[in-house]
Amino acid sequence: MKIAGTASIGQPPERVFAALTDPAVLARTLPGCLSLQQIGPDAYKMVITAGVASIKGSYLGQVEISNRVEPSSFTMRAAGSGAPGTIQAEIQIKLVSDGEGTLLSYDADAAVGGVIAGVGQRVLSGVAKKTAGEFFKAMDRYLSGDFTSASPIADSAISAGPSMQHLSTPAPSQRLSSVQQNGSYFSLISGAGIALVGVIVGWLISR
Amino acid sequence: MTTRTFGEPVLRREDPRLVVGKGRYLDDLGHGSYEAAFLRSPHASARIVDIDVSAAIGMPGLIGIYTYDDLDGRVAEPLPLLIPHPNLTGGRTGYPLAKEFVRHVGESIVMVVAENRYLAEDAVGMIEVLYEPLPPVVGIAAALAGDRLVHADVPENIAAHMVQEVGDARAAIASSKNQLSLDLHIERSASTPLEGKGVYAIWDSDSGEMRLWSSTQTSTGVRAAVAAKLDLPLQKVECTAPDVGGGFGVKIVHPWPEEILIPWAARLLNHPVKWTEDRREHFISSAHERTQLHHVEVGFDDSGRILGLDVSFSHDNGAYTNYGIIVPIITSTQLLGPYKPVTYRVEFKSLYTNTVLVTPYRGAGRPQGVFAMERTMDAIADFLGITRDKVRSTNFIRPEDMPYDHQLIFQDGRPLIYDSGDYPASLEMLKQMIDWDGFKEFQHEARKSGRQVGIGIACYVEGTGVGPYEGGFVQVETSGRVNVSTGLTSQGQGHQTAFAQIVAEELGVPIEDVFVTTGDTRRFAYAVGTFASRAAVMSGNAIALAARNVRSKALRIAGDALECDPRDLEIIDGSIQVKGDPTHSIQLKTIAVLSNPLRYAFDESTKAATQFATGDTSKPPIPDGEEPGLESRDYFSPMQSTFASGMHAAIVETDPDTAEIKILKYVVVHDCGRLINPMIVEGQIHGGVAQGVGGALYERMEYDEGGQLLNASFMDFLMPYATEVPFIETGHLETLSPLNPLGIKGAGEAGVIPGSALIASAIEDAEGFQIRKMPISPSELWQLRIDHQSGLIPSLKAKEIQV
Amino acid sequence: MSESLFEVQVMVNGLLRSGQVPARRLLSDFLRHDLELTGTHVGCEHGVCGACTILLNGKAVRSCLLFAVSVDGQEIVTVEGLVNQDGSLGSVQQAFQDSHGLQCGFCTPGFITTISAFLDENPDPTVDEAREAIAGNLCRCTGYQNIIKSVMRAAEIRRATDFSGSGIVTA
Repeated sequence: MKIAGTASIGQPPERVFAALTDPAVLARTLPGCLSLQQIGPDAYKMVITAGVASIKGSYLGQVEISNRVEPSSFTMRAAGSGAPGTIQAEIQIKLVSDGEGTLLSYDADAAVGGVIAGVGQRVLSGVAKKTAGEFFKAMDRYLSGDFTSASPIADSAISAGPSMQHLSTPAPSQRLSSVQQNGSYFSLISGAGIALVGVIVGWLISR
Repeated sequence: MTTRTFGEPVLRREDPRLVVGKGRYLDDLGHGSYEAAFLRSPHASARIVDIDVSAAIGMPGLIGIYTYDDLDGRVAEPLPLLIPHPNLTGGRTGYPLAKEFVRHVGESIVMVVAENRYLAEDAVGMIEVLYEPLPPVVGIAAALAGDRLVHADVPENIAAHMVQEVGDARAAIASSKNQLSLDLHIERSASTPLEGKGVYAIWDSDSGEMRLWSSTQTSTGVRAAVAAKLDLPLQKVECTAPDVGGGFGVKIVHPWPEEILIPWAARLLNHPVKWTEDRREHFISSAHERTQLHHVEVGFDDSGRILGLDVSFSHDNGAYTNYGIIVPIITSTQLLGPYKPVTYRVEFKSLYTNTVLVTPYRGAGRPQGVFAMERTMDAIADFLGITRDKVRSTNFIRPEDMPYDHQLIFQDGRPLIYDSGDYPASLEMLKQMIDWDGFKEFQHEARKSGRQVGIGIACYVEGTGVGPYEGGFVQVETSGRVNVSTGLTSQGQGHQTAFAQIVAEELGVPIEDVFVTTGDTRRFAYAVGTFASRAAVMSGNAIALAARNVRSKALRIAGDALECDPRDLEIIDGSIQVKGDPTHSIQLKTIAVLSNPLRYAFDESTKAATQFATGDTSKPPIPDGEEPGLESRDYFSPMQSTFASGMHAAIVETDPDTAEIKILKYVVVHDCGRLINPMIVEGQIHGGVAQGVGGALYERMEYDEGGQLLNASFMDFLMPYATEVPFIETGHLETLSPLNPLGIKGAGEAGVIPGSALIASAIEDAEGFQIRKMPISPSELWQLRIDHQSGLIPSLKAKEIQV
Repeated sequence: MSESLFEVQVMVNGLLRSGQVPARRLLSDFLRHDLELTGTHVGCEHGVCGACTILLNGKAVRSCLLFAVSVDGQEIVTVEGLVNQDGSLGSVQQAFQDSHGLQCGFCTPGFITTISAFLDENPDPTVDEAREAIAGNLCRCTGYQNIIKSVMRAAEIRRATDFSGSGIVTA
């Protein structure tokens, strides 16, 4: 399915480009990001939690950035998997100067498989767009000096080393009461929504 | 002696369960399943520009939201066009969820699945669809005008154009001494059973099997459609029709979008899913029927004998032709009724409009045809100054003419040949029952006291028991229980009783031991469905044949056991005995044991069938060509339909001041051959008559010019209550059908067929001017009176009809 | 954010039943889906067809037009509750069997409760009164002929069995 949209960020394209390709920034601005680990140049592994209404869960994602043309465009390839589903996506990001700020446009081509595809394409794309919007807003706030993290645990989540740090509790403001998930993933219902950073989501459908 | 059951008014075996609220209708099933709700088009014609579900995503209990883009494989293809026909050159069907265009108010666009129906509807309410409304085509005139199209690729909105003729009717009319022409109009109504549609599906991912229930008239049809659309082997799909709260034709259409989407969702989500229709949904997304405009030209001699009949009509088939052109074909052929015009020409155009699709509703095109024919008969009678019964009997096919070949093709693709019927005798009985000859005096007396009364008459012939076939399975268990099954379905026709009566009689067992299952593909997989007044004829005969096979096998085995000739044996109350010698007997259930040679005995009775108990080692335990068990499966597939007939008469009173119409007396004479259960047949007639009265005086679908259905509720679509249906007197004639072993004909639709023709005839008689459009309300009658007074409508020639 | 739930306690067919329901839950849905008494049927949900008729404190009412929360503390009898103490068919139920008063059976529970309440007040109706009594319930199958007969037959059965009570049994 195709998902496209735009966002306005109040910083010049150079700053936005740098931020989008900086793992430290991503860990702070991706809603639901539990951990992020660099595994190579322009390649990252992350654990992100996501949920909307009766659909919730977490997933393991991998992201690669390529076709860098500073400061105007890059391609992000992402793959994510959670218990009942997988996503592969390729997103083109373009940045254009817009007065003092940047007009960002994204164009994603995604394939969704597994049980998560069962919620219907429009639910998936609707959630994805909503999440993208939240991510870009968080990015905008961060770049203007508001370092409140959008993700549950920011600083300690970032590691450049080979091991991943798992965090035992989410930030209280992010936690909702519902279903606990078995297995090694946390399940949170994040009111802040879902991250779409080229990686769409693997939902665990709650039972 | 065995209690006779065939032909007896045996009380229904279905009732004890139903009257205590233990029926299992579709919505009673599926506790705990997800439920679906649909977003349906609010426009009669529009292009879908965008569907925005973002506001619905966060709704509590939401499981999924689906549009056409989510459909895959064959589910994304158009719905099947069930009955193709060479003349249906412009046949079109829709998609389970609208792809780009919607063509009637009510067409399904989005399916929402949620934890329950309340939550699903909440989510539907949050979905925003952006439409580009298009100018709709509503009504036959607009369709014929052709300047706007329902389907861009169907010119002039003509789905089909068909002509059938016998002889040169136009020439015959031109050269007749007398000619008349009539324009007639019947408005749209619908089946409106008290229970709407519903579907419940369970997907078993371990075995890859779909278990499906639908409130349908054809579980075998739904099964086949679902298997095809979901790309499953037929063996992996089973469909059951549970208790069904009425069908009347609307539930023979299949697959409804929901019948595909609900199992599709169940498989996608790996969770049971259910949907039941609410009343508004039924009005705007099921099916309607009846709208036709007829133009009749007739030529006749001075005795009223029709020498040429030329009928051309326009049929409104709604937005899609899922059921093909069966309805107008039935109109074309059944219009002839019990008459034999010398030449006949019938032409119809089946037209698209941006309204709900049109598929058979009890009568299925016959009411319209009968209206045309019977209004013509009355008009001829009036023109010549002869009585209305006389003009009809002049044109009757006589018993000695049978079988009578009309030289037309009927709705089953087979020749329209009436096999039997005695129309003169029916008319005589009818006249007696309504006191036809005494009416003139009654009318005269009534006039003296300021009352306006009129008498009407209408006749029809109904092709019943249409093929291709039905099957029956009869099995005697070792307990003595007799299992019977057939693949077609039940919606209140008493099949569990009537079919049990057949078997009880054929096999000589108590009816309490006979248990009938219908409409379950697990129990009988080869079937067509319940429609066209065919269940008794088709399944009744198939079951009788199967029962006879069982009987003859039982007698053969009993003959061996009792060491006598099977021809000397009879079966009474489950006991096979030598005729006249009850001491020399063996139980039918023992024969069931003996018919299945066993290695293992699991109770006392089965011991008798084990290897060391049975003696004869000179032949194999199961001889060549035989099967174990006392059971048989047989089929009935007739060469053609068998033709039932009937005549109705009624006396109505119209109020001189308020134009209110009241039915004072209603008489039915009915001939459907042998009756299995007269009580059940009468019940069918009563129900049909009520629908006929409804169609004559109350029921019409009100579409405005924007294609909006203005009366999509029971408050505004008027169905008759007990106070609107008169007391119905019924007389029966039985001319046996020569076309099936039981000699029966169908009865299901009979009651409704002549309703509009009859009431129009009676009102005309009361008022003294032509009635050409039905239904008629008091205010419409009032307006006609004014038009008549001002000369817009001619008086009948004979102001006081000679009776 | 899901809806608030309210505790409802109702006597149904002689038994105390309870549930937690949203304010907007129709009584018909509460009976059918929360209490799993599926004998009461829903034909239109706008109060016209009468298939959902139940007896509320002895009066025939349309359960599709009531919210479950509004009958808290009341007494309801559904068609299931009209069987006799010994499990045999109640007078109206038996009458429907005897008179072939039903075909598909979907409208039948609504007629049975309506007629039961009617005969409690009018044990000896004329045919016209019987017709009037059932003139608020729709049936598409029977043409009403045999339903009217069922009313008369039920009156007859009640007279014959020296009927006194309302026949409510624990379901």
